[in-house]
Amino acid sequence: MSGQHTPPSVEEARRLALDDALSTHPRGQVVVVGCGNILRGDDAVGPTLIRHLWQQGVPDTVTLVDGGTAGMDVAFKMRGARSVILIDAAATGVDAGTIFRVPGEEVEQLPPLQGLHSHQFRWDHALAFAHWLLGDEYPENITVYLIEAGHTTPGADLSKAVEEAMHQVGSMVRNDWETLVGSEP
Amino acid sequence: MSTIDLNVSPLGRVEGDLDVRVTIDDGVVSSAWTTAGMFRGFEMILKGKDPQAGLIVTPRICGICGGSHLYKSAYALDTAWQTHVPQNATLIRNLAQITETLQSIPRYFYALFAIDLTNKKYAKSKLYDEAVRRFAPYVGESYQTGVVLSQKPVEVYAMFGGQWPHSSFMVPGGVMSAPTLAEVTRSIAILENWNRAWLEGQWLGCSNERWLENKTWDDVLAWVDENESQHNSDCGFFIRYCLDVGLDSFGQGVGNFIATGTYFEPSMYENPDIDGRNAALINRSGVYANGEFSEFDHMRVAEDTAHSFYEGSGLLHPWEGQTNPIDPEAGKKDGKYSWAKSPRYDVPGQGYMPLETGPLARRMAAGAPGAGAHQDDDPLFIDIMDKIGPSVMVRQLARMHEGPKYYQWARKWLDDIDLQESFYTKPIEHTSGKGFGSTEAARGSLSDWIVIEDGKIENYQVVTPTAWNIGPRDGEGTLGPIEDALVGAPIEDTSDPVELGLVARSFDSCLVCTVHAYDGKTGKQLSKFVVNGMV
Repeated sequence: MSGQHTPPSVEEARRLALDDALSTHPRGQVVVVGCGNILRGDDAVGPTLIRHLWQQGVPDTVTLVDGGTAGMDVAFKMRGARSVILIDAAATGVDAGTIFRVPGEEVEQLPPLQGLHSHQFRWDHALAFAHWLLGDEYPENITVYLIEAGHTTPGADLSKAVEEAMHQVGSMVRNDWETLVGSEP
Repeated sequence: MSTIDLNVSPLGRVEGDLDVRVTIDDGVVSSAWTTAGMFRGFEMILKGKDPQAGLIVTPRICGICGGSHLYKSAYALDTAWQTHVPQNATLIRNLAQITETLQSIPRYFYALFAIDLTNKKYAKSKLYDEAVRRFAPYVGESYQTGVVLSQKPVEVYAMFGGQWPHSSFMVPGGVMSAPTLAEVTRSIAILENWNRAWLEGQWLGCSNERWLENKTWDDVLAWVDENESQHNSDCGFFIRYCLDVGLDSFGQGVGNFIATGTYFEPSMYENPDIDGRNAALINRSGVYANGEFSEFDHMRVAEDTAHSFYEGSGLLHPWEGQTNPIDPEAGKKDGKYSWAKSPRYDVPGQGYMPLETGPLARRMAAGAPGAGAHQDDDPLFIDIMDKIGPSVMVRQLARMHEGPKYYQWARKWLDDIDLQESFYTKPIEHTSGKGFGSTEAARGSLSDWIVIEDGKIENYQVVTPTAWNIGPRDGEGTLGPIEDALVGAPIEDTSDPVELGLVARSFDSCLVCTVHAYDGKTGKQLSKFVVNGMV
C-alpha cells in the first residue's frame, strides 16, 4: 500500500510541471514578455507595448505575455518557446526614452538565485529563475529591450518620450520575430 | 532617438514593505511593533466609481490572492443587488478560489517557509542534514519538485477564468465562462496528476483518505510512525523536525480566532444574502475567543485607526469606514506607526478584541459544534489545540492539512458541473444598496463591504487577512496578533534571529517583511533582515 505513494524525482516533477498536454498555453516559437507595473507611470511601458502588439495582430507562431509584476510566474510562461523577447523599464539615469538592447553575453550572465526576492523581481531574475525551472527547455535565443523611465508617478500615463520609444521598440520586436519565424501567420 | 548597447542596472519592482520592530530582553522578545510601510488607498480609488469597479480593481491588491479578491468582491455585489447565481456558477467560483489556495500551499511552504528550517541554528539537530537535502532553496529535492509543481492548480483556474492571476471573470449573477467537457476533463487530469505527484506522493506518502482519518494529535503522531512512506514523507519529516528543534514551543499568538468562511453549497446560495451566508458555507465561519465559540456576524467587525496613519481614532464598521490618510510624520507625534488599520471584532459578552485569521482559525471553525450536513466538520485541530496549544508548527500544520481536504472538494465540484445548465443570470443593477462579500484566501479572511448610492460606489472598504494579523495596536493599546505572537519568542543568536522569521512567516502575511531587533535595555539595534526573501 505504502509503495503507491512515492515522491517524484526532480526530473519527473519538472516534466509534469512543463507537460504541454496539460498546460494552458499553446506552444509558440517566440514568446514576447512585457514586464512592469501598469500603475506606476513609465514602468507600464512593457505591458502597454504588449497591448499595442495584440491590437495590431501577431502571427500564430508568436505568443504575447503580459508579465505585469507577476515575478516568477513569468518564467512558467516561457516554457516551450525557442526564442524569448523581453521588454522592461529601466532606471539608469540617462534621458527618458533611451532604448537599451541588452547584449547577448550580458543576458547569459544571470544573477545567482540565492537571495532572490519575489517582490524585487527584475528581468534578469526572471531569466535566471526560468533557467533553473526550465532546464533543457530554456529558450535558445533571448533578446532584452529596456526603456529608460522618466517618471514612476502612481496613476500617471506614459511620458511622451517613453511612448515614442515604446513604438520604436514595437517595430524592433516585429523585425526580430520576422527574422526568427517569418511574418506569415 | 538613438539605440545603444550598454550594461545597465534595471529597475526593481517597488512594493509596500512590512517593518517589524522588536525589543529583546535577556534573549526573549519583550515587545513588538508591526508597521505596514506603504499607503494602499484602494478604497479611495473605488469611491465614486461604477459599482462593478471592485471586480477589476480589487484583484490587483495582491498578486498571489487575486482570485480571492475577485471572489469576495463578486459576492459583495451579489448581496447588494440581490442577484440570482446559478449552481454551476457557484461551483466554478468555488473551484477558482480553491485552486488558488491549492497553489499557495506548496509554494508558500517550500519557497517561503521551509527555507528557515535549513538555518544553521538547527545544525546541531540530527535531522538537520536531511532538512537541508529537502528544503534548501533551489537545490533541495523537495523544494524543487514542490515549487515547480505548485503552478499546476492555477492552470485549472485559468481554464475557467481565462487567466491567473488578476482575472475578473466572476460577475454579479455568475461567471463569464462557458466551459466545455474538454476543460473539465483537462482540469481533472491536471489535478489528479498534481495530487499523485506532490500531494500524496511527496507531501503525505499516503492517500488523502488515510491522512484525513486523523482525528487527534495522538492519531497524527501514530500516523508518522505507521510506515516508512509516511515517516519519510515531507509531512512526516516536517512533524519530526518541528518536535526535534522546538517549533511546537513558540509563536502562540493571541489564541483567539476568526474565520469568515468560504465555498458555498450551490443549492443553498442561489440567492446570495448576508443573513443566509453562514448556513450556506462549506468551509465554515466562526469566532473562537477565550474558549468559547460564537457565530460570525459581520456587523461585529470594526476597524480601529488609533495607531494607523488615518484620521479618526474610534472603531467604525466598514460600511461607515473611512480611509482618510494623514501625513505619517504628523501621525507619529500621536503614536501612530502603521498604514494598516487594526480590525477588531466585538465578541459577544467579551467586547472588541484582535483575532488571528488564517488556516488555524479555519480549522477551529471547522471543529465548532452544530455543523450542517454539507459543512466541514473536523475535530482534529480542536484536539491539537487542547493537547499542545498553538505554535509555529500547529499554524503550519493547519495550512497543510487543508491540501487533502481541498483536493477532494475540488475533485467533487468538477464532477458536479452540469454543462447543459446556465452559468449566469443577468442581474438587476439597483442604484442603491449595501453589500458584504467575504472569502478565505489561503492566508485568512478577506472581505469587502460596499455601499452603493445613485448608481455609484459611495463607500468601499476591504479588510484583508494581513490587516487582521499584522495590524498595529488598537486604541486600548492591545497588540495585534503577529505583534502578540512575537512576544516571548526565544532568540538564540541576536545577529541572526531566525525565530522571528519563523513566527512572522507562519502567518504567511502578504507583505515583504523586514525585521529590526533592538536590545530592550540599551535600545541598540541588534540586527535587521528581510523575512520574505524568496520567491
